[in-house]
Amino acid sequence: MSFRHLWAVIRKELQHILRDRGTFILVLVTPTLVLLLMTYSLAVKIQHVPIALLDYDQSATSREFIHQITAGDDLDLYQNAVSMSEIEDLLIKGKIKAAIIIGPKFSEDLLAMRGLSLQIIIDGTEPETGGFAVDHIGWRAEAFANDILADQILVNGISLDSLEPIDLRIRSWYNPSLEPRVDIVPGLLSIVLGFPAFSVALTLAREHEHSTMEQLLATPVRRIELLLGKMIPYILAGLVNVIVIPVIAMAWFNVPFNGNFLEFLLLSAIFLFAELSMGMVIGVFMKSQSAALALSFLVVLFPGFFLTGIFFPIASLPEMARMESMFLPGTHYAIITRGVFLPGIGIDALWPYAIMLIVLGLAFTGIAALFFKKKLA
Amino acid sequence: MIRRILALVKKEFLHLKGDWWLPAFMLFGGALELLAIGWATSRPITNLPLMIWDMDRTAASRNLVISLENTGVFALTEPAKSMETIENLMDRGEINAAVIIPHGFSNEIETIGGHPVLQVILNGAESIPAREALRAVKGVVRSLDEKITIDRLGIDPDLFKGFDFSLRVWFNEALNEAYYTTPAELALMLEFTILIFAALTFSREREFGTLEQLLVMPFSSIEIIIGKSIPVILVGMFDFTLMLGVVHFAFNVPIRGSGLLLFGLAFMYTLVELGKGMAISVFSKSQHQAFLLVFMVGMIDFLFTGYAAPVESMPKIIQYLAYFVPAHHWLNIMRGITLKGSTILDILPNILFLLVLGLVIGFFSLRYIRKALD
Repeated sequence: MSFRHLWAVIRKELQHILRDRGTFILVLVTPTLVLLLMTYSLAVKIQHVPIALLDYDQSATSREFIHQITAGDDLDLYQNAVSMSEIEDLLIKGKIKAAIIIGPKFSEDLLAMRGLSLQIIIDGTEPETGGFAVDHIGWRAEAFANDILADQILVNGISLDSLEPIDLRIRSWYNPSLEPRVDIVPGLLSIVLGFPAFSVALTLAREHEHSTMEQLLATPVRRIELLLGKMIPYILAGLVNVIVIPVIAMAWFNVPFNGNFLEFLLLSAIFLFAELSMGMVIGVFMKSQSAALALSFLVVLFPGFFLTGIFFPIASLPEMARMESMFLPGTHYAIITRGVFLPGIGIDALWPYAIMLIVLGLAFTGIAALFFKKKLA
Repeated sequence: MIRRILALVKKEFLHLKGDWWLPAFMLFGGALELLAIGWATSRPITNLPLMIWDMDRTAASRNLVISLENTGVFALTEPAKSMETIENLMDRGEINAAVIIPHGFSNEIETIGGHPVLQVILNGAESIPAREALRAVKGVVRSLDEKITIDRLGIDPDLFKGFDFSLRVWFNEALNEAYYTTPAELALMLEFTILIFAALTFSREREFGTLEQLLVMPFSSIEIIIGKSIPVILVGMFDFTLMLGVVHFAFNVPIRGSGLLLFGLAFMYTLVELGKGMAISVFSKSQHQAFLLVFMVGMIDFLFTGYAAPVESMPKIIQYLAYFVPAHHWLNIMRGITLKGSTILDILPNILFLLVLGLVIGFFSLRYIRKALD
């Protein structure tokens, strides 16, 4: 491969880009901007869930109970209802996500150890919020019952200080408060760095669309040089983001970066090579920009979200989906980013994933080069 | 005028025929993607690798291990032999949680007033599975707490109702994840499809230089706009119908409200997004640029739809801004009509917002497009 040819293609591509500066600024800036947007929208800690209470007991105990339930940030008392139809209305309008109905004999039943006379209704249209409400209401209710009952129970004259004897000690490594932002940002990095792949697919398809492809091939530039030359400016654009994003993550979102930055830069470059060659394959097959775009979306963006283990653990995916995810560079890079940011491990532990990325990159580039020839023969 | 518009529409379709990938994707891509993704993700979280270090090795500790396995959330790895193993695997992200049962666990259970200790370490690098793991463990601990207490008190288990309460789930009795996620995915796909298609309309002509040719023809700018809009609207409605079919038949999401109302509002929503997309396409100098802009706008909307998390949990300022995003209201409308069987009155605020936003966006887009074309 001649570096002179390669350099010529790179220069040509750079000139194209600079002529359309607006677009390139977008290419440069999109990954970081989208990361910011997505972090704000997705890394949301569920809190302040609005609930309503209907108290048929109206005793000191029930009032204390209500106080306990809404004491924290997790559940917010939206309204003290006075009837079932009010509750129904609030649920249908979406003003509350859950309702607790305290039975008329709540206080009596509790003290007689007949259980908690409570009915909880949740809005199932948002299972996550509903599940959250059930869990938190349940935990608080149990703690409440425990407090009230424990002192009163004596076994052989010994106070049973608690009805919840097990001392459960929970520690969360790397992210002590289980703050969603901390682990989502490294994952999102994997998604947003895939965006330059769209541009790569588009730039190849554009040459087809504008019929400049034949001209290019009449030059002494070889196919592989053409493909790589077109890819390199976008790898560089990606690398700029690789430098900028961790800085923002640390400064703005307080995401720790415990690994070695130079190793990370290298691993990211390998990922960009793999991901962008995937874009190349798309660009080679599609003859028009719009088609290249559509396919990129379906193949790069959406699976990038759901099959790479960022929002949904790969272990929980069905067999076939799990296998599919192995072919996405994003999957391997997500593991790398997660490892480098939080636990701070390095190439010594992550090398298998780097190898996978190199293999994928070479495979995709090979396929692109191969089909590039055939399409124009 | 109608004849001229029809001529334009025919031209658009002829263009599409020459490049059949695009319409194929536009029409079916959304539905296919919905099927694939909806299926893969509307599954519960299971198979999380869990490593257990049982230092007690008694019947009680073994029962605990079995209980953890029975939650269906975990896939037990080889038993741990040291803290180092746990650290290594957790660093690499190969386990999502570790449970350590200390020596003396069983003894503490037998002693009245004893407090058996249980240590749980969660892999915070993946907070979503971590929460699920915590939930499962807490469930097991709760059952064990109950059992221990009953034993200690020597009462009849049936009499101990301690902490039970009754739970009713509305609109989605089985707490089926698909009920929540698939309408959101549908809204997202629909928006992207319409935006992309609309964005390509003018930017493509501009890139190829055929826009000037179009403008010298005897079409008024209104006719051009309508002519270009019709294919987008048709594709959008077709896509919506297809995706709704997928969501309803493949994922069993019910449509409890009025189907007619739903379609009517879908049409209105299509027009709103069409307006946005066309304005972007007229503004862009190339298809590449149009696409990137559309993508940014789409991502911004994605933020506000409350797709992944409810809008109430977001910072106040984001909650206020959400009111200005059409997709936010569209998603509420869709969820309301399909799952809650909402009537017009129930979702009136959302409809009004959509209408007003649509009129404002439409007005400004039209003015901008006409000015640009003339």
